[in-house]
Amino acid sequence: MDAKDILGLPKNAVPIPQEKKPRPPKEPQRKPDGISRELYMLTGGVAPVMPSIDVSQLKKRPPSDEKVTWQWLPFSNSARKDNLQLYHWVRVVNGVPPTGDYPFAKYNKSVELVKYTDEEYEKYLTDPKWTKEETDQLFDLCERFDLRFIVIADRFPSSRTVEELKDRYYSVSRAILIARAPSPADVSGHPLVKDPYNAQQEVERKRAFSMFLSQTKQQERKDAEVLAEAKRITELRLLAKGADESELPVASDVSHDNIGRSIIPADAVSPTNVQATSATIASPTLVVENAYAPASLRMLRVYSRTFGLEQMVQAVSSSAGLRTIKRIEQTLQDLGVNLKPKVPTKAVCAEHLELRKEILTLLNLQKQLQYKDAEGSSYRDGSYTDMPGTPKRAHRAGEQDHAFIPECLSFGGERVGKRDQKRKGPGRVAETPGASYTLSTNDWGQLKIYYC
Amino acid sequence: MPNSSSLKKHGSDQTEVGGSAPKSQRTKANSSKRLKDFEISIPIVYGTVAFWLGKKASEYQSHKWTVYVRGATNEDIGVVIKRAVFQLHPSFNNPTRVLESPPFELSESGWGEFEIAITLYFHDDVCDKPLNLYHLLKLFPDDESGPSTKKPVVMESYDEIVFPEPSDALVARIQNHPAVNIPRLPAGLNLPPPVPVEEVEKRKKGDTKDSPLIQWFTNFSEADELLKLAAARQQVQGHIAKLRRQLALIDAQPQQLKPTVDQ
Repeated sequence: MDAKDILGLPKNAVPIPQEKKPRPPKEPQRKPDGISRELYMLTGGVAPVMPSIDVSQLKKRPPSDEKVTWQWLPFSNSARKDNLQLYHWVRVVNGVPPTGDYPFAKYNKSVELVKYTDEEYEKYLTDPKWTKEETDQLFDLCERFDLRFIVIADRFPSSRTVEELKDRYYSVSRAILIARAPSPADVSGHPLVKDPYNAQQEVERKRAFSMFLSQTKQQERKDAEVLAEAKRITELRLLAKGADESELPVASDVSHDNIGRSIIPADAVSPTNVQATSATIASPTLVVENAYAPASLRMLRVYSRTFGLEQMVQAVSSSAGLRTIKRIEQTLQDLGVNLKPKVPTKAVCAEHLELRKEILTLLNLQKQLQYKDAEGSSYRDGSYTDMPGTPKRAHRAGEQDHAFIPECLSFGGERVGKRDQKRKGPGRVAETPGASYTLSTNDWGQLKIYYC
Repeated sequence: MPNSSSLKKHGSDQTEVGGSAPKSQRTKANSSKRLKDFEISIPIVYGTVAFWLGKKASEYQSHKWTVYVRGATNEDIGVVIKRAVFQLHPSFNNPTRVLESPPFELSESGWGEFEIAITLYFHDDVCDKPLNLYHLLKLFPDDESGPSTKKPVVMESYDEIVFPEPSDALVARIQNHPAVNIPRLPAGLNLPPPVPVEEVEKRKKGDTKDSPLIQWFTNFSEADELLKLAAARQQVQGHIAKLRRQLALIDAQPQQLKPTVDQ
């Protein structure tokens, strides 16, 4: 108000048109009748595209010619066998209570068991491991508990495993079915006859599953790696379909199946054992697989050297993740080597491939070292904050430890700060003392040596 | 240059020529038609050379360029290659250009850069499948210097055509041809006598040693790259050794106790 005095503006002239403006826009946004404002706001304040609520029905009252009362009446449930009468509220219309069975009686389903007579038992169902008494008990429990074998196993008087109980039940039922059937053809379609229960398989399956469930993260990763290699091998195998190569595929087939089976090894295996077996099987597959790239190349009648090199590189890097591949390429660049050789002769390609393999080994060793150090001590975290004079870099190093590790071996790379890339390779490397690599250098020129 | 270097084989090839059991059996079984683990390669260079037409340039014909496939040492590759097909941009008349005899070069004029697909068809005794190469025609130089009528924009790629399982007959036919890299023949191999001299001379015209563009051809030398690669490998191997020593040290040490964190 004071401002208006100062400006000399009329006091009321402006407010009036301002008040009028908000009002018209609000009108179309009024909520519709029939539902509360809060409810309407749930739909975002606009009407839904398809009206889900018939608004006119909301305010409808029941037709007034009907007289509705609620009464506390007894009812009986046809699903019960004991004629128990309970009471509940019933909506009575015009004095007529609702008819019909208790609506939930239809859900009282039970399993239809096959029942055998004593003679049938004597004829078909005797088994050295089961007495008639036990079998009868089993069937009784099955009926009571609707074939819920976990419960049955729990309540079974003598201790039997779920698989044994299932096996007995299903084989008895199967035998009865077959015995009672007028001809084998009639009953051959029945699921019990078609796919008999295989207790041994079930036991194996459950054991494998529980092991799978209890795998640690590392194992999961290892399995994923092995599977990726297996996939690569099968792909290469498709290429190498010629008769000449039939021996190699058979060899890898065996090893491939072994990978699958090693995940379901026989006796009491601790998780580390599985790890060991899958690891040892992984290395032969790696060797087999590396022999595949040249095998598949040989199947081609003609190829260009660059194409061949690509295939070999892929074969080598197939076990590495994308990140590792990028790191290999970065290292190659730092070393001053072209990612794709400019003069790809046989010798050059061979050297290039070997170099890539060595870099991969190097990166893996670095990772190993990193893990070992992480297990060993937590000095690093503490020391970085103490670092005088390089707080910014220390902070970065602490966070980006992983990315830094390969760089500390940088052969003149430019990752941190814009440095001249043309460094003398060998000369520079000679400078860095052979201290702990895991403690990443903050400054390319100096290496802070930490006790490790 | 090519023949000596080709003696260094890929790791896997090395063991196979050494004769590990399964492979040698296969060699014996199939030695009738094909030689095993014995590849021949043809080093080639393919690419483009483009001249700006300067004053004579029109809107649609600003550059004159030549695309070609030649032997890396300018030898005649017609000994292996029967036909070269260059697939140009569809805006050209008859974009599929076929060259039935060496030298496999094609000149055109135009204004735009595009990818040229080169398909090489080989003689019947060499290979029945063609090989595809792709090359991007470059008209404009990378550096800031403007287009020049004297200095062309050259873009060449070196590659080698590898035939992993050449037949005896083929090896016999071309074993002494300068365009071809053949490793040292295994001992005890009986090949038909080499091609008589006059035929070789008849084919001499297919080489590119007299080409007007020869002054622009790049001389690809593997020595440079080999040196760099060897140096790089040495460095990496040095680091690997260091890391291995480190790991051994850590493994030998007793478990470290975690220090108290008081920062």
